[in-house]
Amino acid sequence: MKRWVGLALSACVALPLPAQSVRGRLEGRIPSTAIPAVDSLIQFAAQEGLPTEPLIQKALEGGAKHVAGPRIVAAVQLSLGQLRDARDLLVRAGDQPPVLPAEMTTVAWALRRGLPAPLVERVVAALARPPRAAAMHAVADLVAHGFDPDSAADLIIDAVHDGVPRERLLDVSTAALQQVQRGRTRAEALAIVRRQLPNLPAPARPTRGNVAGARRPAAPVPP
Amino acid sequence: MSVIDQRIHQALDGELAAEVVPAELRHAVAQLAAAAELLAAPPPGPAASLESRVMAEIRRPAPSRARRVMRWLVTPHAIILRVRPAWSVVFAAVVATLTLFTAGDQGPELGEHEGIAQFVGRFPEAQSVHVVGTFNDWRPGSIALEDQDHDGVWRATVVLPAGTYEYMFVVDGERWVPDHLAERLVADDFGRENSIVIVRPARR
Repeated sequence: MKRWVGLALSACVALPLPAQSVRGRLEGRIPSTAIPAVDSLIQFAAQEGLPTEPLIQKALEGGAKHVAGPRIVAAVQLSLGQLRDARDLLVRAGDQPPVLPAEMTTVAWALRRGLPAPLVERVVAALARPPRAAAMHAVADLVAHGFDPDSAADLIIDAVHDGVPRERLLDVSTAALQQVQRGRTRAEALAIVRRQLPNLPAPARPTRGNVAGARRPAAPVPP
Repeated sequence: MSVIDQRIHQALDGELAAEVVPAELRHAVAQLAAAAELLAAPPPGPAASLESRVMAEIRRPAPSRARRVMRWLVTPHAIILRVRPAWSVVFAAVVATLTLFTAGDQGPELGEHEGIAQFVGRFPEAQSVHVVGTFNDWRPGSIALEDQDHDGVWRATVVLPAGTYEYMFVVDGERWVPDHLAERLVADDFGRENSIVIVRPARR
């Protein structure tokens, strides 16, 4: 009996701890046949210094949506490729390895939201200091609403250089979108907001009523 | 000293009829009779005696119940409040408890890197709506939306760490629907689209 307990403990110690925790999160959530492949992809990511949480989330998403195992593996593999592309892009743009996982996730988001890789690279190079998440989302928001990609990137880069705090860059894109809603052309909207920089309208804050009715999910996962 | 005519006395005493009083005396008799009536009448004005005033008050009818209540309400009263210190402490504890209970209804205290995410969807025929995403490991059933006024608009307000999240609605436990009100969508690599919510720190 003691020998079996010892063997079991040895096996547990031999496995890397992240692998155990990843398998624990996947078991019962995705088809069991997909777990080994997904697990190995996640281990590759960890070995390469890539963030693993987006891959775990993609697998859990597939399981929750009752997607077949092979499609889950394919989606996780696709996400792994996007993270590798994001890391390479960041290095090309001037970030020193090892690249921050959060920045890789940010760039992967930007590419998934449809921003051209050269544009993302230009924004990364212009904003040498992380974090760049707000800047990427601000550019992506503008492009998604039909703004010229280069002009949108120029506005956000100018805003950073004019001293707009990173956490307020989404207010820059929001201000431009509001100008369009008031009947301006997109070019006019960008020009108006650029003239106003670094002054921006105050962002909407959650009301007392909203906060009063808010609740926390059982176990929120950091992005 | 003048002497009053005997016939005037007799006329004033009623012993002599007025028509038999000589004409030259009739005026004097009339004046004396008026003076006598004046003296017999009670004195006019505020000089009523204490006795008469008390009697007048006694004879006045009692005021109605409503009038008495009204008079009690508007009349100042002295109130003596005697409180035991122990009861004062209990009262203070009850007030403090009620205050804390009310404060608890004001919602959770937000951390420095936390924000509020609002999820709203219109599903008129739905029996249940949940929001599922990267903030809850895509675990269906953990965050339910509510339609308290039964107008088909389902809502949930959630505290999340600041960041970017993908999510979808799950209607009646089986139908996966993107948030059509979301400004940001992204392909989910399974043939559909996820909505994106960016949670900004509430304390900026």
